[in-house]
Amino acid sequence: MGEGISRRSFVRAGGALGLLALVPRARLEELLAASARAAGTGGGHFLTAHELDTLRAVCGRLVPGPPDDPDPGAREAHVPEAIDLLLGAFRVSPPMIHAGGPFSRRAGGKRDDFTHFVRLDRHAALGWRIRLEGTRGKRQREFAGPVRGLQQIYREGLAHLDSRAAGHFAALPGPAQDAILSDQSDDQVQELVGVALSNTLEAMYGPPEYGGNRGLVGWKYTHWPGDRQPRGYTDAQVSGLDAGGPGFKLDAKALRGMERFLPALAGVRPSRERFWLRSRGLRGR
Amino acid sequence: MSKASVIVVGSGAGGSAAAWALRRAGHPVLILEKGRNLLPGLGTHHGIGSLFGNDEVKAGRAFENQDEILEPRTSRTQEEAGQGVDRSFIGDVNDLPTVAGGGTIHWDAKTPRFWKQDFKALSLYGPVPGATMADWPLSYDDLAPYYDRVEARLGVQGDVHRMPKRTLEQAPRRHQFPLPPNPPMYAGKLLAEGAASLGYEAYPFPMAINSVEGHHGRARCNSCGFCSGFGCPINARGSAAVSFLHEALLHGAKLRPRSFVYRIDTTKNGKLARGVSYLDSRGRKRKARADIVILAASGIETARLLLLSRSAAHPHGLANRSGQVGRNLMFHFVTLGIGIFTDDVHAWRGPSTTFVIDDFIGPYTGPEAKNAGLPYLKGGLCETGGDILLLDEAQIYAAPPNSWGKQHKNLMRQSVFRRHLAGMSMLGEDMPQAANRVDLDPKIRDVYGFPVPRITRSQHKFELASSSYYGPKLAEICQRAPGAVSGQVIPAGTLSSNNATGDLTGGLASTAHIMGTARMGHDPRHSVVDAFGRAHEVENLFVADGSPFVTAGGFNPTLTIMALSLRMAEHIAGVRYERARGRRHRPRHH
Repeated sequence: MGEGISRRSFVRAGGALGLLALVPRARLEELLAASARAAGTGGGHFLTAHELDTLRAVCGRLVPGPPDDPDPGAREAHVPEAIDLLLGAFRVSPPMIHAGGPFSRRAGGKRDDFTHFVRLDRHAALGWRIRLEGTRGKRQREFAGPVRGLQQIYREGLAHLDSRAAGHFAALPGPAQDAILSDQSDDQVQELVGVALSNTLEAMYGPPEYGGNRGLVGWKYTHWPGDRQPRGYTDAQVSGLDAGGPGFKLDAKALRGMERFLPALAGVRPSRERFWLRSRGLRGR
Repeated sequence: MSKASVIVVGSGAGGSAAAWALRRAGHPVLILEKGRNLLPGLGTHHGIGSLFGNDEVKAGRAFENQDEILEPRTSRTQEEAGQGVDRSFIGDVNDLPTVAGGGTIHWDAKTPRFWKQDFKALSLYGPVPGATMADWPLSYDDLAPYYDRVEARLGVQGDVHRMPKRTLEQAPRRHQFPLPPNPPMYAGKLLAEGAASLGYEAYPFPMAINSVEGHHGRARCNSCGFCSGFGCPINARGSAAVSFLHEALLHGAKLRPRSFVYRIDTTKNGKLARGVSYLDSRGRKRKARADIVILAASGIETARLLLLSRSAAHPHGLANRSGQVGRNLMFHFVTLGIGIFTDDVHAWRGPSTTFVIDDFIGPYTGPEAKNAGLPYLKGGLCETGGDILLLDEAQIYAAPPNSWGKQHKNLMRQSVFRRHLAGMSMLGEDMPQAANRVDLDPKIRDVYGFPVPRITRSQHKFELASSSYYGPKLAEICQRAPGAVSGQVIPAGTLSSNNATGDLTGGLASTAHIMGTARMGHDPRHSVVDAFGRAHEVENLFVADGSPFVTAGGFNPTLTIMALSLRMAEHIAGVRYERARGRRHRPRHH
């Protein structure tokens, strides 16, 4: 590691700027355990126990696990608990919105910097308050018109699912849940599915420090190496096929599936920059 | 005699380069930056750290990017504008990072030079109907020494001996690159072979990425793969921040983060800038005064700031007697080709792409141009060997309606887009159009209470026809790559709906390439700034970002932004400035 990223000076400088907030190591585990316990007793960080149950059912359909699929799904990856942690982000300090950097311990880092979430300054915090809580009629927040927050979208959307399911969405069999979730004629369902799918994929396939991807299950069946710093790749790994020959061969069926899929991308907006507002619901016209 | 004091608005590519050069020349420099600093230790002797990681979630959460909730933009098409529609979209319109270092904090760091022909396109190839083509008021030769200096400072890699003859004729180089190329990416090598079999020449992409440990005291790139769109965790990537701003701060320039400049203040007669008004990190109104003001807030924000600064002396916006402020907005027009391979070609390992093909720059004057009613077509550089990361892949598969569930998980397991895809993206030159413009939204305000920039934009048929012509060639290269089982082009026009914001597959508008809006020229009736970036109407006001670009070229613009900025700074600081003052507005002849 070069002089440029000397650990000691990095921490000192970061502290001086007020950007780093050191988080006790076990904190994430505690926070997640709080969400996990909510199913039985009180509630999560934002959702009630019942809402969390409904969300578990939703996430379990979006990324199914056993017995519908051989590999662990969103429930097994603790995705619903991670979404609850995001919705209740401001009950935790600093909010677990932007993981720290530069390294986790998965690729040669000496400590998990990702767990040291970056403190939001006044400006950034306002943006995330609006994104999560909505404008709520507050003048300070309505400079560009009203915004429905994620909390409201989830709360109302989950309740709406119950109303579509004679009061208890989570109790329906999987195929019946799928039928409701895929009802394109129901805008309120689709508003919920839009944000829940984005958040589910984040928590399923993103770094585990955000609370999902438990046991790195989202990186196992996808054979994804995850974050690679500071180790990176060797020149041979960059420039050649992996030793032992190709690890994965594409079969004809997968290829045909992909060729059928491509036209469906018409009109789709780029993901990384867009997925927070994919719903178009957050900001009214 | 003390040196003129300077305020720089924006710490991105143009702002930091100017601050660095002017501070070195002894000028007091104050940089006002709207965003935070996310590189701990920047500007100190402790070494530069990074709060960035290989983290796709953070990259999508307005960490370094402008938060579209707080600072939305609006957009509409030219057609909608004609129908009186105020806006059809509110949100992220080609937003750039809002952070110390600006867009370069997560740029792809590709540093091609513009070609000679780009500076004289109108003279060489004639007008294009419906476009405002013009010559630049300077030539490649004027800019070449500054290209050299920026490349040295950034630490640019490349290999002059592998560049095509055509390239070196159009963009001659006096020296080999400061650094050798990164290890070539496997997927890129396959596409390069495909290209070679068709007579095209792929070569190592010049880029500001450190390939030698310790060069400029920074780490060597270890090809982690989270590159374009991600801040560098190890600062192996050259940038405005680590290559210019850091040293400017070490030598006494001042950086004030979270400072939002909302007005350029002028003397009563409007002939001189006195400084700026801004909101500080606690939202308090402040003023800063200096002898010289340099705007480097990006093509969109600089135009907005000029329009916000209207006064009795400048009723249509500062320095806007020509009516050209905000006009001729250019983004580039991206055409994508994809090759699908049976092997796992791991295109995600490495700095986005290591190969480039410039066979499709043009101009092409064959029958396809004539049939489209155009004198010629032009494409652009092809970034060769691009990738899709895991969360990106998941979001793409999830994009069509009801595409979640078991089907989605199967796609993730098979991973055609991530493991078996290598992409080519052509940065198509887009035409400057008077009606593609930035103005102030009549109703929507940002968190600071000021009108947000409104982007009115439609593609010119030039881009669509060029994409249709060159696109199949991208597919052909992909098909010819060894081991490819499929090569496709994502055709523009058929999938793109010609809207202002673009979509994933055709004419992507999230290019982060923002040009035009304060074009440079000799004639104050038709341009905003002169050949040194100085506003025609305000003697001590300069523009140092993508705004002065007259045309877009088919090239990543940042190197050219920085080169123009250094040229401007030298002009401000040097003897040549004094001479130029005596015969202002007189064109230099070449």
